[in-house]
Amino acid sequence: MLKKLAVICSLILSTPAFATNSPISGNVQAKCSIWTETQGVYGNPLPNKLDTLPASGGTKASIRVDIAQANFYKTRFTHPISFSSSPTLSDTVAWTGSTVVGQVSVAGMSAYEAAKVVSPSNVTTFDMTLAGSTWFTVSSTAMYGYAKSFPAGSYVAQIVAECIAK
Amino acid sequence: MRLLLTLIFIFSFTNSFAHEMTPAYPKFSNSYINNVSTTKMKLFNKREDISYYKVEVLTNDWKPIAFASTNKIIKLGYNKTILFDVYVQTKDIKHVVYICTVSKNFKQEKKVTLVASRICSKID
Repeated sequence: MLKKLAVICSLILSTPAFATNSPISGNVQAKCSIWTETQGVYGNPLPNKLDTLPASGGTKASIRVDIAQANFYKTRFTHPISFSSSPTLSDTVAWTGSTVVGQVSVAGMSAYEAAKVVSPSNVTTFDMTLAGSTWFTVSSTAMYGYAKSFPAGSYVAQIVAECIAK
Repeated sequence: MRLLLTLIFIFSFTNSFAHEMTPAYPKFSNSYINNVSTTKMKLFNKREDISYYKVEVLTNDWKPIAFASTNKIIKLGYNKTILFDVYVQTKDIKHVVYICTVSKNFKQEKKVTLVASRICSKID
């Protein structure tokens, strides 16, 4: 009798429980972002030379790559070997350039410079093994013909910065 | 300390522009069309100087693979995000390794050098 009463009481007194959906939401964030900090500018120190070196009156391009997750991406930089637009040129242009590691947010990223792979000569690949921000400095030089002046006009060349999932 | 340094570095530059794409490792699934697989990508344009991005589907050797998308050249305003589908024939799926978006500059751009950004996701 007492047992029955206890069961009835517990049924009456128990608070109702409601079933409800409890969603778990989340966003997938980019793990690699390319930030163009400084677009390079060519200086024209000699009639037959365009150069991004500050000593030549130019500005090197600075590109920041943010890696949110270590070891998932490599980055690749291609410095120009042709103008994307220019006046008509009757002679060949000799191109040189480089991509180097600038500032780093994690000290270990300085090792990227020694581990970089340059192949072919205008493409530099870095393996992004650490999370954080790395600034890359891209320089470019164009020499025109033999003792010839670049024709007057506007010259545009393109740097390509890439983030490639490994 | 490391985080502080990172923040200092990030905020010490004011005029920077970014290009982002997710997911990093997309997966293809069957589409509503027979023998065609699809995956959904998300592109974010935080480059004020860029309004157009080209979609590419590539092999391991960076050779192009035929694909379909709503637009192969996507017009995307500054600070805007877009979701886009990539459709590939199921028989080609085994060759697909990268899905990339590349920023497109106008040829008549007056700047002296341009930075084109390209982000590639790898098929998982």
